[in-house]
Amino acid sequence: MNTIAVEALTKRYGTITAVDDLTFRLAPGRITGFLGPNGAGKSTTIRVLLGLARPTCGRATINGRRYAELRDPLRQVGALLDPNVFHPGRSGWAALRIAARPGRIPRHRVEEVLSLTGLAGAAHRRVGGYSLGMRQRLALAAALLGDPQTLVLDEPASGLDPEGVAWLRGLLRGLADQGRTIFVSSHQLAELAQTADDVVIINQGRLIAAGPMAGLLERSQASSLEDLFLGATSPHTQGAHPAFTRPRSLS
Amino acid sequence: MRSLIAAELLKLRSTRSAWIPLAAALAAAVVAVIANTSTAGHGGNPPLSPAALPDLLRSSGGQLVDGAVLLAWIVLSAGEFRHRTSVTTFLGQPRRLCVVSAKLAAAALTGAAVGLLAEALSAATSAAVLSAHHVPLHWAQPGVPGAVITVPLLAALYGVLGASLGLLLRNTAAALGLALMWAFVVEGILPVLIHAPGVVRWLPQAAANAVLHGASATTLPAGVALAVLAGYAVVLATGGALVTTRREIGTATG
Repeated sequence: MNTIAVEALTKRYGTITAVDDLTFRLAPGRITGFLGPNGAGKSTTIRVLLGLARPTCGRATINGRRYAELRDPLRQVGALLDPNVFHPGRSGWAALRIAARPGRIPRHRVEEVLSLTGLAGAAHRRVGGYSLGMRQRLALAAALLGDPQTLVLDEPASGLDPEGVAWLRGLLRGLADQGRTIFVSSHQLAELAQTADDVVIINQGRLIAAGPMAGLLERSQASSLEDLFLGATSPHTQGAHPAFTRPRSLS
Repeated sequence: MRSLIAAELLKLRSTRSAWIPLAAALAAAVVAVIANTSTAGHGGNPPLSPAALPDLLRSSGGQLVDGAVLLAWIVLSAGEFRHRTSVTTFLGQPRRLCVVSAKLAAAALTGAAVGLLAEALSAATSAAVLSAHHVPLHWAQPGVPGAVITVPLLAALYGVLGASLGLLLRNTAAALGLALMWAFVVEGILPVLIHAPGVVRWLPQAAANAVLHGASATTLPAGVALAVLAGYAVVLATGGALVTTRREIGTATG
């Protein structure tokens, strides 16, 4: 079953088209990198997928349902959108307890994710005193609260130190190996090249390329994910190479 | 719904800028009784008597408690958008009307609880002070049960007004500014500006005073005033719910 499906999704803000007839599907057990230049429409796509923004047309679903229709969404989808979504005056512990309440997630799970993300020692400190890396870990802890089958992460490595990045890589690989769907938007191509199995590349809201990373690299004769990305998003090569056709599914 | 209300109450407990005004209002409830009783019998004020009890209960828990509850829930509900905690909130419960309902219920519960606590504190303080002056305590006299009921009821309505205003404006400074401007400026000058002094009794603060202190020649009957205040709460809550369900939830990354 496709856990994440984006079908003919379009999102317009006035005269600006942020996402333009975007279609792709992700399969479980894989880490998929979601790539695109600044303003390509990645965050908008993710916000529509998570029910925070309304599509102009088309749909984005998780397990066949729109996010708002999911029963107990925290236990199905974990999302990290921004490390700055916590009240600076609350402790990390209180922030997670508040996030856990709607899903009736027990206190011991809050302790587990705090330990898992290395924040147990700072749990009772105010979030306002956390470094960016600690806030990122707290956001990741919130995403993991419901032990979800699907993770949607926007720039999860941002602010993490090298040790944290390596830890995150291992964590995501372990979760994918358990059969979970991991969807990661990132600009850190070198890091993503070590982590992702598949990639979805968009530019100006449109799908440029999608598929298993090894296959795309081979077909485009790119030497690295960075080459593939730059080739795919360059106005000169876009659409000219067979690797940059518009696949509809990764599954 | 219970878990959502519990989450809202946990937000209140873990946000100092929200609960400090409530704690200050409770302290003021005690101070107000002491201040009112200390001036009794001096400077033309009537001496302490059993009949002073209803006024002590009403004055200590009145506008300060209402104002504190209003302030706390403006800070909490508008603060969700200022600090972008709304993202976490609506990821946890994407059915936005459920979140709005939980906020309004939590705001009403907070108001009722703080109002009751203020009444309990002022009753205990009044009992201690009046007993110290050998004034008998008549708890069943007219006015006492009314004060015990109306103070929490008004505070509950002000909680709903605060939460609704925060959801409607989504900006803490604007919502606080509007509330303060309304309380200290608009209700004073509006009747003069529109040359209709009779209008003032239909405004929220005048309606709240009529509920708390009873009707007079210049106010609405208490029942009508309560309905007017509830009407303001319903209108603001509907506006807050419409804005929350229709507008998108933003993040820094856009």
